[in-house]
Amino acid sequence: MMSIRTFGGNALVLVFPLIILAGCSTTPTPEKYKPKTFTIEIYQMKFQPALLTVHKGDTVEWVNKDIVSHDVTQVPNNLWSSSNLLPGKSWKMAVEETDDYYCSIHVVMVGKLIVE
Amino acid sequence: MKMLKTFTAWASVTLAIFVLQTMTSNAQTPKLADDEIASVAVVANKGDIGFAQIAQKKSKNAEILKFAHTMASDHQAVIDQAVALVTKLKVTPKDNAVSKKMVADNAKTQKMLNSKSAKDFDKAYIDNEVAYHKAVINAVETILIPQAQNAELKGLLQQVVPTLKAHLQHAEMVQTEISK
Ligand SMILES: [Cu+2]
Repeated sequence: MMSIRTFGGNALVLVFPLIILAGCSTTPTPEKYKPKTFTIEIYQMKFQPALLTVHKGDTVEWVNKDIVSHDVTQVPNNLWSSSNLLPGKSWKMAVEETDDYYCSIHVVMVGKLIVE
Repeated sequence: MKMLKTFTAWASVTLAIFVLQTMTSNAQTPKLADDEIASVAVVANKGDIGFAQIAQKKSKNAEILKFAHTMASDHQAVIDQAVALVTKLKVTPKDNAVSKKMVADNAKTQKMLNSKSAKDFDKAYIDNEVAYHKAVINAVETILIPQAQNAELKGLLQQVVPTLKAHLQHAEMVQTEISK
């Protein structure tokens, strides 16, 4: 038993530096996350998609493709808002945290951003 | 007094339902050409702007005022689109039985709303908004869209339906809110 353990220990000592060396050559430091941009269309009185999952720091752009004005406003505390978006206009924001939002002009229009 | 209140609420709803019924009953489904459809569309939108303007004068309720503001700006946006389209198509909106009936009914509704006391106004206004949007959605879906000949006119009417449906949902929300 004893001799096998010693052998195993020696083997590990030999193998470890190899793993570390291999690791260094293929993957240097872990890649820094590159923020992405997502588009939410406001169309036919809906946020499309109404539910969107992003990473912290990603940008979301809302584009009003309807024939009436809309806005994008955080609920329930009004923490952020696009203010009035005329047809054809868009607004973007870097997402910091999970939030619910709605259109304060048409209160039945709701959406959610989830930061994972 | 209770009876009178119930009656006036009933009357405003019945008025809108009457429009809907005259416009959709099989026996007398009106046949409309594109220029007549354009006229109905403009009159229907103007009607709701008229009601909103009365609300903006008479109501003190924040929910009602916000809703009325949305109605005035959305229905004006729809009128602007309709006018731009008929101008492009070189069509002149033409009065017809349906648009004339709507003008007359809307005038009666305006009179009813104007006669309301401050206390009774909000309920009368929002009840009428619920009924009016139901009637207009029905007319657009069962008469105007099926009968529209020009593809762009049909397309615009189809685009308006989700807006009207969101207005109806919003109106029903406010209706529930103020009845508490
Ligand atoms: Cu909106």
